[in-house]
Amino acid sequence: MTDQAMTMQAMIDEWYPVGLLSQLQPGGRKTALMGAPIEVACDAEGHARVTAADGRVLPVRARYGHVWSSLGAPQKELFPIPEADQPGRRFVDVGVVRVRCSPLRTVENFLDIAHFPFVHTDILGAEPHTEVQNYKVEIREDVDEVWATQVKFYQPQASKSASGGITTEYMYRVPAPTCSVLYKTCPPRPDEWDVITLFVQPLSEDLCDVWPWMALFDDETSMTDLIHFQQTIFLQDRSILENQIPRRLPLDPGMEIPTRADLTSIAYRRWLKRHDYTYGAQLVAQ
Amino acid sequence: MKLYDYILSPSCYKVRLMASLTGVTLDLRPVDFHPGAEHRSAAMLALNPAGCIPILEDGDLLLTESAAMLAYLAAKAAPAWLAGEKPEEAARVQQWLAFSSRLTASLGGARLHEMLLRPGDIAVLQRQGIAALRELEAGLVEQGVRGMRFLASERPTIADIACFPYVALAPDGGVALDPYPAIRLWSRALRSLDGFIEMPGIHRLHELKPEPPIPTVEV
Amino acid sequence: MLSDTTGSWTPVALSQDLPAGTVIPAYIVSGSIALWRSDSGRIAASADRCPHRGMRLSHGFVRGEAISCIYHGWSYAQSGHCLRIPAHPGLKPPETIRVATYVVEEADGVIWVAAGAPGSMPPGLDGFVPFRSLTVHAARAAIEDAAGATAGPEGLVDITSGAGNIRLLLSAQDGDRTLVHVLLVGEADAATRISASRTVESLRRTAEDRQEKAAAQ
Repeated sequence: MTDQAMTMQAMIDEWYPVGLLSQLQPGGRKTALMGAPIEVACDAEGHARVTAADGRVLPVRARYGHVWSSLGAPQKELFPIPEADQPGRRFVDVGVVRVRCSPLRTVENFLDIAHFPFVHTDILGAEPHTEVQNYKVEIREDVDEVWATQVKFYQPQASKSASGGITTEYMYRVPAPTCSVLYKTCPPRPDEWDVITLFVQPLSEDLCDVWPWMALFDDETSMTDLIHFQQTIFLQDRSILENQIPRRLPLDPGMEIPTRADLTSIAYRRWLKRHDYTYGAQLVAQ
Repeated sequence: MKLYDYILSPSCYKVRLMASLTGVTLDLRPVDFHPGAEHRSAAMLALNPAGCIPILEDGDLLLTESAAMLAYLAAKAAPAWLAGEKPEEAARVQQWLAFSSRLTASLGGARLHEMLLRPGDIAVLQRQGIAALRELEAGLVEQGVRGMRFLASERPTIADIACFPYVALAPDGGVALDPYPAIRLWSRALRSLDGFIEMPGIHRLHELKPEPPIPTVEV
Repeated sequence: MLSDTTGSWTPVALSQDLPAGTVIPAYIVSGSIALWRSDSGRIAASADRCPHRGMRLSHGFVRGEAISCIYHGWSYAQSGHCLRIPAHPGLKPPETIRVATYVVEEADGVIWVAAGAPGSMPPGLDGFVPFRSLTVHAARAAIEDAAGATAGPEGLVDITSGAGNIRLLLSAQDGDRTLVHVLLVGEADAATRISASRTVESLRRTAEDRQEKAAAQ
């Protein structure tokens, strides 16, 4: 087995986003999944159809605004997001953004709050409010997901519909190696959580297409404003992600130094290692 | 004054930046450029048949070229941003305004390709982008010899604002800015101006604000 | 690069291109570095990688006498020790958190960074004054070819042109790229300097052309 095949092995049976349901075309769109060229199209009935270069028809799911597929034979159903079926939410297709970095680095960045004051200045964070309070992190064995809860951070502008600063609470969830779901304080509905996801399509080990998606309670803000808010946030991260060295996520503990604020990332890396989810990871310091 | 705007568009950012630097308040009308392709909708094509943004509307004045928008904002609110009396200065402003369209075509094209998956010959776009950056670098070196920090004058003009966004965002399209010391100093001078605003991909110059005091508690 | 048995000096940048309170990326034989000058004017060089999450420190910012990473604001002293982790404002960072640093010397308007511990100081410029730096996508041989002159042991190439005597200080970068510092005889007037800049731009075109042709053979 080649090195490439080795690192793909554990992740090959996972589901990955490969396109927007709203933009399916009969003519198809050429893209790639873990180094393999694929084509995403819709058939005569409008159903998504994903094919490999050799003509092999790949498994498909149409969920959360996106087409999902896999090069392998998924053993598990695509992870649930119960809020996706909740009445009253608005679903936002943010659109694809390509990033020259490991898909795993993209997810790790999404799980991090300590960078808010420096990268999302005056939107998600601002000096001097830089402190990360203790929060809880666990790997939930029953569902095999990484969860971080009771994450609180001061935000000068928590969302498009928030005016002024508030302490925002978050819960982070990693249900698949290249996907994360964020639950966040919902200013108009204090009993509910807004859902913001990051779905990452691994094109190769150091190149990915990122498909953010949201399910929000917000009747005020225009759809375009919601899209632009999330694109703003992600594009601020992109210039960081393309300048991290190495491009792949180092799983060697000597390579990068975490602190208490990085507990989610520590758990994520541990969970990746446990499952041999190493496509996009660097195992040995180079 | 109404700007049909896309937050990730460097050309729209030119207009937002100019307005901020000159103290003009814009009425922003966000356009779903990506993923919605709203700029090619019938309503938008009625405003600009070329199918692109920004579009600036003020009364019956309808502008679709960002250089014209910069000139309009400056003329209305801050004429010091326009060329002065000297023929050389007037010529240099025009020179770099026209040159800025080459930045849009090359660096802007590379950025759309690398970031939003738009079609294009990336190797050619990047090569043309590097050529344009070298021209700008040489221009700034020569201005430095003349004792001027900006493209047309010792003070910033609309020509600087026309060139800055696509240059600053060149790395988004895979074109490094590391090899251009004069561009780096020029960019820093612009980013330090009162009223400067960022767009995604151009981060805040945190050094312009003092560091918050360090609490004395030790753990 | 100027080597002796214990180390080597690389001319990484011109002093004029690194004002107080700024950081720039630079390159030495061991790789990319972050070169920065504190608000008080002290110059320092470190590895271009924050040990926290691998972000390039040359994208960071300088406040006072420290360099900070743009990603999470971790800041480092000239010595490379971590001074501050904003996520934990009350924590004194352990001594073990640090970035590798390099010896820097600044002389006659050129900033030199050492790989190893050279036994001697970087060479002087014999009355030449730094003018500008530019990157050429060609190796030394192609530049010598274009200049019609050979570089001496200190990486200096002298060319004579309509713009008077121009001295080039060459520094090899990664790939087949060369950083060229353009030095002029002191007191050159504006017209001469502009002409020198254009001469070197032409030389770059010729050198890159030669490099491309050599690569195609």
